[in-house]
Amino acid sequence: MSNLAKALKAIRKSIWVYHLNSGSCNACDIEVLDALTPYFDVERFGVKLVGSPRHADVILLTGPITRESLPKVVRAIRAMPRPRLILALGSCGVGGGIWWDSYSTTGGFKKLEDILRENGVEIDRVVYVPGCPVRPEAIIYGILLLLGAVEQKSKRVEVYASES
Amino acid sequence: MVKLSIAKILQIALKAGRVTRKYPSEQPLLTPEFRGAIRIDPTKCWGCGACVRVCPPNALTLTPKDKVATLEYFVGRCIFCGMCAEVCPANAITVTKEFELSSTSIEDLKSGVVHRLVRCSSCGELIWTEAELRATVKSSPISEEYITLCPKCRKLKFGKAAMLGRGGSSE
Repeated sequence: MSNLAKALKAIRKSIWVYHLNSGSCNACDIEVLDALTPYFDVERFGVKLVGSPRHADVILLTGPITRESLPKVVRAIRAMPRPRLILALGSCGVGGGIWWDSYSTTGGFKKLEDILRENGVEIDRVVYVPGCPVRPEAIIYGILLLLGAVEQKSKRVEVYASES
Repeated sequence: MVKLSIAKILQIALKAGRVTRKYPSEQPLLTPEFRGAIRIDPTKCWGCGACVRVCPPNALTLTPKDKVATLEYFVGRCIFCGMCAEVCPANAITVTKEFELSSTSIEDLKSGVVHRLVRCSSCGELIWTEAELRATVKSSPISEEYITLCPKCRKLKFGKAAMLGRGGSSE
């Protein structure tokens, strides 16, 4: 069993999450709070919101990572203990959303990952959760996918347009 | 602040009942207005690019490469506005209620419809997709001599024909 699998098994029933807003419009943040209410009750899975990245197993990253927030995001992720698990939430977190090619944003998690690698910050696993904003159910589904409790449904498909 | 007794709290709790939705084992609450990921029907899509023009975050892209053009849908950038389904002239795009789109790799969030391109019979330039050509022939009466020409060659050919009709030479 690899180190990552061992660590994932250890945190399976107590996932502490840290909510990191990197210039989001607050819609995803409200949905994160919604997921923590008794209506969805993520504490069924042991998910608990913590106030510091040093205590966190998972970072909930919302927003398109603006230029102003980029150094702070890198610092927060560096402060996390290994394994570093990240849930990129919303259209902005995954692909940059409406601001994907703007000068003032990094434009999605893929580009942030390159910046992190340049800075020597390794990330163990990422789950992309699309949605604008993400549904609380989608966040729960993303967390379960991160822990390997559910099967992934999305798959790359490329089909030819019909002949007739 | 009013301090509630245990009996009173229990009474309120019993009245409210269980509110938690057991999501992964229970069906989520989806309203009829909810918009999820779009689905492109490859049997209906023309590859005209109307959805690409209207898409606010450029989640839909149409990229010509060699002899094919790929209409790619990147769900990770989609804002689920449903504008593409509104403008689609072929009604190929439908808005589904799919929201469990999470994936561990960004490539899995992309899907594409590949269209074959048609060459201009005169200059050999790639002009439009096969599906769009078929749809145009079906919807509007257009002369078969002109259908496989690019707009430039079509203008040239029509000009020459008009001059011949007036009694001039084609040169």
